[in-house]
Amino acid sequence: MPMFCRRNVLSGLFILALGVPAFSNAYQLFVANLILIYVLLAIGLNVLVGYAGQLAFANAAMFGIGAYATALLQVHLSWPFYFAFPAGTLIAMAVGLLISLPALRLSGLYLALSTLAFAQFTQWVFSHWDNLTFGAGGFKSPPISFAPLPVSKPVGLYYLSLIVATCVTLFAQNVVASRIGRAFVSIRDGDVAAQSLGIDLLGHKALAFGISGFTAGLAGGLYSQLLNFVSPEGFDLFQMVIQKATIVVGGLGSITGSVLGAGAIIIILELLREAKGAQEIVFGGVLILFVTFFRRGIVGSLQQHFRGWDEPLHSARPIGSALPSQVRLGEKESLS
Amino acid sequence: MKINLSKTSACWLAAAMIFSPCALAQQQPGLTATSIRIGSFGALTGPGYLYGKLAMNGVEVVFDQVNAAGGINGRKLELVREDDRCDPAGAIGAVQKLIFQEQVFALIGGGCSNATFAARETIEKADVPFLVVSSVHDGITTPPARTIFSTALTSTIESKAQVEFALDTGAKKIAVVSMRDSWGRARYTPLLEELKAKGVKIVADEEMSPDANDATAQVLRLKQADADAVIMVLFPKPAAVFTRDAQKLGFKPLLIGQTGIGDPAAFEDQVGVPGATAKFRTISMVKYTPDDPAVEKWRKLVEAKFPGDRLSVFNLFGIGSAQVLVEALKRAGPDLTREKLVTELANIREFPVDVYGAPITCTVEDHRCNKAPAWLAKEPAGPVKVLSITRVN
Repeated sequence: MPMFCRRNVLSGLFILALGVPAFSNAYQLFVANLILIYVLLAIGLNVLVGYAGQLAFANAAMFGIGAYATALLQVHLSWPFYFAFPAGTLIAMAVGLLISLPALRLSGLYLALSTLAFAQFTQWVFSHWDNLTFGAGGFKSPPISFAPLPVSKPVGLYYLSLIVATCVTLFAQNVVASRIGRAFVSIRDGDVAAQSLGIDLLGHKALAFGISGFTAGLAGGLYSQLLNFVSPEGFDLFQMVIQKATIVVGGLGSITGSVLGAGAIIIILELLREAKGAQEIVFGGVLILFVTFFRRGIVGSLQQHFRGWDEPLHSARPIGSALPSQVRLGEKESLS
Repeated sequence: MKINLSKTSACWLAAAMIFSPCALAQQQPGLTATSIRIGSFGALTGPGYLYGKLAMNGVEVVFDQVNAAGGINGRKLELVREDDRCDPAGAIGAVQKLIFQEQVFALIGGGCSNATFAARETIEKADVPFLVVSSVHDGITTPPARTIFSTALTSTIESKAQVEFALDTGAKKIAVVSMRDSWGRARYTPLLEELKAKGVKIVADEEMSPDANDATAQVLRLKQADADAVIMVLFPKPAAVFTRDAQKLGFKPLLIGQTGIGDPAAFEDQVGVPGATAKFRTISMVKYTPDDPAVEKWRKLVEAKFPGDRLSVFNLFGIGSAQVLVEALKRAGPDLTREKLVTELANIREFPVDVYGAPITCTVEDHRCNKAPAWLAKEPAGPVKVLSITRVN
């Protein structure tokens, strides 16, 4: 196995991530934590869009639902974070499952429009249901305490995010490498063909939406703690653009791509702070560059130039395809 | 030559070195013997750039003036800008970068209310002095955070002034037309509370979106309610649409604005219908409009420093706030520390600033240092006039 292969790089990134609090200042730790949160978002979105082929735009809304649910359970019901966090995640997942119901009848642009409408509706609820959500002005959420562990809140939260992101990455890699992952890809490549193979369309689409809602809910809960402030602005269309950018830049249909894409986009956004007043232009330029010249994302380029970057379901290398991968059903099932 | 130092002398020497101004300066982040790094955050892009970038331009012009005159106790002021994109997460990131990476000594800025409010906790925990320029959210300064002061009018102060003005003009049927986004809510909620506190029951309560192109429905409903004064919690664009449609439909109440529409001359141009703004009165955080001869000096400086820019009221926000910060830095003396700066900010009393409606006063108990909204009006084709200054308690 070559040194610069997927597994080694991911292991190296994990070891690096373990040591981040030791050599970073508060700002760098904040950015590192943000990256982990976007890793969660990117993985869920990639399962839904990159693997299952569902062109949905509700991930920012589900991210918001996770954040709001977690923080509101803390504020209104005085639940400790450790109960509110899983409950908020389950609420986001339940919403994800609910959205999947119309997805059986809708696809492509129609699905995109309906999920976009849902995202706008969610924004409206965040802004206007004052008694529950505190309206457009947002609200503060109580900070998590890691006592009796001898860690500060930022460091403790960072490690919590790292544990969650690592577990979700391993879980997602196993899911997409399994029969379920192949079913997702077959649905993406053609509903009718997938159904003719005996794949349960509703069940698998619901599962993809559920996974996406689950990871968005986890990310939302952690995000509410990272900021200790929740308001509608964080979950608008720009949020959706950032999340889509993570999977396009990282590589559609790739869990490793989700990890690399999330890291790349957040680092780019932070570095672009230096381009005072021109972030949007430069960010747009970066996205156009990737869509035009690196259509398979970072992972696609790595697969092209280095050995050992193929992922399960990715052993075939498409040439000039818009989608990053073609599936050879029946090929590798285990983690490569 | 051999120099012998006794233990006592050595201790005194060490103590003198540790507590010398130079050593103190080195211990304070963002402070050297020749410079003071001041961080600023706000929107540099997007619609919120008025409250961010333009205000920062005003701050920078004041800093340039101070530096040209030799600085503050021999130290030049350096402004480090960060974009918060008008987003709470962006503001927290920007503030953390300024404090922990750029190692600034103090902060001045804050444009979008929710973003600044979200950053409050980070600033408070880091114990960094912060002077708010434009954000109006009450929660930024109430309850007071030890190191955070504001020269912006807060939502409650504006709301009190609006209600007082409407009642003073004899309005009997007051209506409200407002945006309900975070900016609008920050004003709308305290406005309703103030109306309730004064025992005023509004005759109509209409909503408009920030990008509205038509206000016929809202105007007709307010006209049906026979409102004689309309408090507009709107950005300039929807306010202009409302005013234009009111004129078109023959509805001519007293129109009461707020700092978001703080330039009546620009607003008249935006409305574009002769006579439509005849009964428009608005609050400004500052008592001058950009074309006032009193701010000629600042116009020249801003336009020279930022070619292509025209002086705006948002520049004036930054100018006023920067003058207050500079004064506090001067008073803190050569042995500058963050603690001394906070103490001096809390002790500023009746300090005259070039642009605000009244002198600035901060106290330990109340960090809302500007409580004097200026009321402006512009007769059609006439000059902008300052009608009065409301001193809000």
